[in-house]
Amino acid sequence: MTKDIREDIAWAQINQDVMKSLENPRKLYWVILFAALMVFSVGIGCEIYQYIEGMGVANMNNPHMWGLYIATFIFWIGMSHSGTLLSAILHLMHADWRKPIYRFAEAMTTFSLMTAGLFVAVHLGRVWQIYYALPYPSERWVWPNFQSPLLWDAMAIFTYLSSSVIFLYIGSIPDFAIARDNIHPGWRKKLYSILALGWEGTDRQWRNFRVTYLTVACFLIPLAVSVHSIVASDFAMSQQPGWHVTSFPPYFVAGALYSGCAAIITLFIILRYVFKFEEYMTLPILKKTVRLTFAIAMVWTYLNCIEFASVWYSHDQVAKDVLIQKATGPYAPFWWAMIFCGSVVPFVMMFKRFQTNIPVMFAVSLLLNLGMWLERWMIVAPTYSHGYYPWTWDHDQWPSLIQWGIVFGSFGWFTLLFMVFCKIVPSVSMYEVKEMVYHRSQATKKKQLGIEGAH
Amino acid sequence: MSVSNLLENWSKFRHTHPVEDKGHPDWEAYPSGLKTDIKWAMAIDLDACTGCNACSVACYAENNLPVVGKEKYAHGQEMHWMRIERYWGEENGEFKAEQGAQFLPMMCQHCEAAPCETVCPVGATNHTEDGLNSQIYNRCIGSRYCSANCPFKVRYFNWYNYPEQEESWPAPMHLQLNPDLTVRTKGVMEKCTFCKQRTYVARNNARNEEREVADGEVQTACQQACPTGAISFGNLHDPSSKVAKQWAQQGVDIIKEVQDKDKEREKMEHEGKEPEKMVRGYRILEELRPYPSVMYLERVREESAV
Amino acid sequence: MIENDFDRRDFLKVLGWGGTAVALSGCGYTSIEDGKETVTSYVTLPSYVVPGISNYFNSTCAQCEAGCNIMVRVREGRALKSEGNAASPINRGKMCGLGQAGIQAHYNPDRVQTPLLNGKAVSWDQALKEIEGKLNGVKGDEVAFITGTMSGHAQALLGNYMDALGSKNHFSYEAVSPAVARAANKKAYGVAMPRFRIDKAKVVVSFGADFLGAWVSPVYFSQAYAQFRKGNRPEGRGVLVQIEPKMTLTGANADRWLGIRPGTEGIFALGLINALGAAGVKVPADIAAAAKDYNPERVGTDTGVAFDQINKLAALLKERTPSLVLAGTAAEGYAYGSQNAMAIAMLNHVLGNVGKTVEAPASVPFPQLAPTVGSRSALTALNAGLAAGKYKVVFSYGANPVYSAPAAMKFKDNFGKAGFKVAFAQYLDETAKAADLVLPLDSAMEEWATVVPEYMPAPYEGHAENYAQVSLRQPVMEKLYPNKEGSGTRSVGDILLALLKQRKPEAYKGFDDFYAYLRSAVLEKKTVFGAAAKDDNDIFWNDTVGKGIVALNGVTAKLAGRASASELALPAPAAPDAAYPLRLIPSVSASMRDGRNANEPWLQESPDPLTTIVWDSWVEIHPKTAAKLGIVEGDIVDVSSKSGSIKAQAYLFPGIHPDAVSVPVGYGHEAMGRYANGTGANVFAMLDPVFDKETGELALNETAVKISKTGARVIIVKEEGPIGGSQAGRKKIAVKVSAGKVDLTKEV
Repeated sequence: MTKDIREDIAWAQINQDVMKSLENPRKLYWVILFAALMVFSVGIGCEIYQYIEGMGVANMNNPHMWGLYIATFIFWIGMSHSGTLLSAILHLMHADWRKPIYRFAEAMTTFSLMTAGLFVAVHLGRVWQIYYALPYPSERWVWPNFQSPLLWDAMAIFTYLSSSVIFLYIGSIPDFAIARDNIHPGWRKKLYSILALGWEGTDRQWRNFRVTYLTVACFLIPLAVSVHSIVASDFAMSQQPGWHVTSFPPYFVAGALYSGCAAIITLFIILRYVFKFEEYMTLPILKKTVRLTFAIAMVWTYLNCIEFASVWYSHDQVAKDVLIQKATGPYAPFWWAMIFCGSVVPFVMMFKRFQTNIPVMFAVSLLLNLGMWLERWMIVAPTYSHGYYPWTWDHDQWPSLIQWGIVFGSFGWFTLLFMVFCKIVPSVSMYEVKEMVYHRSQATKKKQLGIEGAH
Repeated sequence: MSVSNLLENWSKFRHTHPVEDKGHPDWEAYPSGLKTDIKWAMAIDLDACTGCNACSVACYAENNLPVVGKEKYAHGQEMHWMRIERYWGEENGEFKAEQGAQFLPMMCQHCEAAPCETVCPVGATNHTEDGLNSQIYNRCIGSRYCSANCPFKVRYFNWYNYPEQEESWPAPMHLQLNPDLTVRTKGVMEKCTFCKQRTYVARNNARNEEREVADGEVQTACQQACPTGAISFGNLHDPSSKVAKQWAQQGVDIIKEVQDKDKEREKMEHEGKEPEKMVRGYRILEELRPYPSVMYLERVREESAV
Repeated sequence: MIENDFDRRDFLKVLGWGGTAVALSGCGYTSIEDGKETVTSYVTLPSYVVPGISNYFNSTCAQCEAGCNIMVRVREGRALKSEGNAASPINRGKMCGLGQAGIQAHYNPDRVQTPLLNGKAVSWDQALKEIEGKLNGVKGDEVAFITGTMSGHAQALLGNYMDALGSKNHFSYEAVSPAVARAANKKAYGVAMPRFRIDKAKVVVSFGADFLGAWVSPVYFSQAYAQFRKGNRPEGRGVLVQIEPKMTLTGANADRWLGIRPGTEGIFALGLINALGAAGVKVPADIAAAAKDYNPERVGTDTGVAFDQINKLAALLKERTPSLVLAGTAAEGYAYGSQNAMAIAMLNHVLGNVGKTVEAPASVPFPQLAPTVGSRSALTALNAGLAAGKYKVVFSYGANPVYSAPAAMKFKDNFGKAGFKVAFAQYLDETAKAADLVLPLDSAMEEWATVVPEYMPAPYEGHAENYAQVSLRQPVMEKLYPNKEGSGTRSVGDILLALLKQRKPEAYKGFDDFYAYLRSAVLEKKTVFGAAAKDDNDIFWNDTVGKGIVALNGVTAKLAGRASASELALPAPAAPDAAYPLRLIPSVSASMRDGRNANEPWLQESPDPLTTIVWDSWVEIHPKTAAKLGIVEGDIVDVSSKSGSIKAQAYLFPGIHPDAVSVPVGYGHEAMGRYANGTGANVFAMLDPVFDKETGELALNETAVKISKTGARVIIVKEEGPIGGSQAGRKKIAVKVSAGKVDLTKEV
């Protein structure tokens, strides 16, 4: 169990295994799809009610102006960082083991961004005027406020989303061609014909493909870092205690990578099980992912400590009060749960025997994600609850069922997108796995040759 | 509609730093070369304030504020632009009533360097040429970032569609609505405007008569109602106005860095002296440097008489 | 349909002439009536109505008895906002929240819109005929009329009507009134309501007089208070000491609030006299004799106030004269309330304040227009008559006794015993519900009236020393419910005039309506009202209505010598009843008062200044008492007396004596309107029927109660957050400074 992948898998076998995942959904698929649709409908229903009645039904108030929506928004944005990390960063670093798993991670990036985008709309009091936030030339020469981090946010997310869609698509072109060539005639064949853009696998095409892919990857990395730094700026650029923290951008980026990795582990395990990808999503790859996640968890914990320490030693009594209130006030259970999930649970990953233990890792990854969701909530809410002005402290602060319903619904939406994706796009990159197998076999051959030569 | 227009807008969008900001002399409509150099400001004497709530009710009457009812109040969704806060003296964690309570009317402080203005994504809240922090309801998309960044938490969001709700102004109560300003729909932010509808009338009158706005010509609704006259309001750039005199006398300046009060205190501290007689003007949270336009005068109490 | 049919006479009648401009839109009846609209072209508007420009009409506030002069802003025929009339010596352009809410009484959706006979709509003609029929063969003695405080020409008409009926049974009732103080003042100073010059005093010692909140004329006193607090006044900044068991708004503004044991105010006053004597102040012999047993130690034990504080207060009063001592509601609500008030009044004599800060008042030169001030003893008398079945026909106007009478008086049952009950009502409140015939009243924005305030302000801006005033109330807009086809509302003056016409058709046939009566009555006395005999009537009248205030040369009463202090006999504080260990103090808040304005939503939503609670009643409990009883904030507690009980949320309040609990009055209406009904609990109902021994006033604070938890708990709906009135150690939010530390003399 030391190899990331068996070097003796036949290429045709790869095609066959992966293409299988695109066809003939089982009953369970439809059940899950329906469940996701239902969950999403709950969210839609809540949103319609909120749209008609006003934001009040979410039980937000003065001072609790932002609730779970913004927290969940950051959560989904954070989630999106996994794909970029695996495809772009690890691609540049020539980490070969990423190859079987980067495709769905990239899809996750795109879909979580699409989910996050929903929260921007859900959160707005007048969502029907959302286009005011776009810098479009208008008759009245009115522009949005370029000073506002929220505007940067909108732009960064939009750029990031479009780039990641392009990245995902470009990376899939050779696979679409494989799909085109291997699928039964029908509408899907037509679809893949279009998506494959006439890919024939010529030398020139491969060369152009490599350059483009590399370029977009390089472009995407700063974007990924900036998008979460900008989300962090929403808070760090404000004046509120607990938000006005210089270390927020790296803290947010670390948190994002962290939650993204945790989500990859979750989906890794699910896909491996559902599509029987044991040959490709192997335990050694899981192990590497887990180790990477553990490393990021420690970075996140470290940044957390830095934040606490900088508040504690800053002599900024107001910020300190917020911190104390996080640990002791009405939010204390959630805050401590966050610390537990985010900084204590990952230590399970330290143990080798757990690193490849599927049930344990599945549970751990879910806990990590819960912790990261709580982290976002604990950034948003306590500052409202305990800001500069004591008179407004702690006013009725619990989100209503409507708010929970929309948050809940967003998971349905994400699942829905992902389910559809699984059946349309090969969730394992076939050509890259082939590459990987090829490299492996070459390496093995070389090794054998080397050994032989030594004799 | 071009890049140059965009850049121009960008530069014009915000004033220069308030330290350099010397009033707002570019109101074109003055034909005779009279300049309008208006900076509306307020002074509230906490010693005179009795906490009676008259100002708050007057604000409801003037500004079409909806009554939200018990349930929404319980959720903290009340809409009082002017709220009266009541504080107790504290000793060892217990409230002390021996010296009465302390009241504080709190509304939008119309900061010159307002934290809310910079963060609005669509520029719905910005500074007017007469020094008000204004909210453009039509432009607001309800991101509520302004309120998130307001240190005083004096911005109120329309959580519900009050104008169209039967319980807000059941007929014939809707006849009371002030036609000089709008009612606000769901999803927009609102707050104290320093009774903009009144200041505009005064300014227009002054413009038509080619003169400057006289002190006392315009009263805010709260000021007008206040039974003890604790609130004064006027043009801070008019040295003869009561507000300007009060600010000057108390050594308070819009720009905290240059205010006499602090200079005096620093000097005293430098010389190691305990100042004997202090002024009592201060602005709440001025250390955050939002440069609020409302000066409060400390409540005075005889400590040892009885 | 376009129609130009407004009648000039009607038009003028309704409009009157405004202060700055004049009149309002003549738009017939616009869109208020269901289904019918008479569209009137803007072209036919009077020239003084400019669309988009407001007109201001001077009038008089009807929200409480203070009678502030107001200026109502009217735009295109709609009254928008009440503002203070700057020329008024009473409120000087200012207004309280209660007064502001008057506009909501006018536009209230729960107003009665048509006469109701046994709950069914009838026409005015039928209603008036019904009264005439019921009065047929009824002797004068068998008719009773209960009203709130009344004054002016409506009061004169009422007098005439009662005379015409041959009845002397006019009961003037106020659920909350300074009736005991009036009696005590009469004995101590020779006048019921002297002028209290807070603005001239260096020290004000107030025994529960909430003059900034709900006592007598709060807006007037608030202005005086503002003067009193000015550091650059010749007398220097004044010091306010408030002595009361439950902190009122005035107490909250005091330099020192002394939470005294309920009912021991008189003892404290005598102790203070004793201490003053000891400090070398000359005390008249009879007073000294009355106070001689009240040494500080004993007073300290009895009142619960540390005796060194009594000595300190005496020293302060000795040093700073003139001072002013006031006796208010809290000191009077006892079986020996008159004695308390008397002892307190003696302090003014001892301190030499009489003539300096207690001045002789002026009153209007027409006794028939002077207010008939309300009291609770009137209700007792009426109730006795009703119980005995003495009255066949009972009228009620401006009072809600079914709501505000203690349950122990069984007023509702007794009221039912009267054969025919007529309620003049703006809302279908408890009394109107219990009546057979309900006559819908105009709002104060729709009626003509004259008002004479009970508390006459001190001269202001060049007035003569004997300044007195009559205030005018005029309709500022078209009636919301006009008199068409027998329905709609009418003013009390119009109703009384119609009733008088039934009795004396000859004498009143010249007056079409109350407006005509009022106008002719004023013009008849125009020389007294400040006009020259040769002045044109129309010009004088328009001018008078425009101003809203008629300044008169009043009659100055003389301050008479005081009664001897030898009658003073104060009982030692009663030992607490084991079964009912706590004293209930029904508190009167500035906005809710006795509950007649409970259906105005601004008042319900405007937080109580001290507790910041909205939309409900509450029970104020001292934190120590609460800890003893295991009560925490929000517990629903049962407060029960011998005569009844209520359930309300507990609020831990530091400004109350540990032996007392306090519940605000004015809440808990069963009938009135959508905002008042079911909001809170009615504390009037559970009061014990204990009366002041001298005046027969209901002793509001004599109810002993016990408190128990019901087990339920709520989150109190209030403005303050869970940390309450704490500033959480933040230094620069609401700042207080010691008087010695600031230089106030140079302030602007």
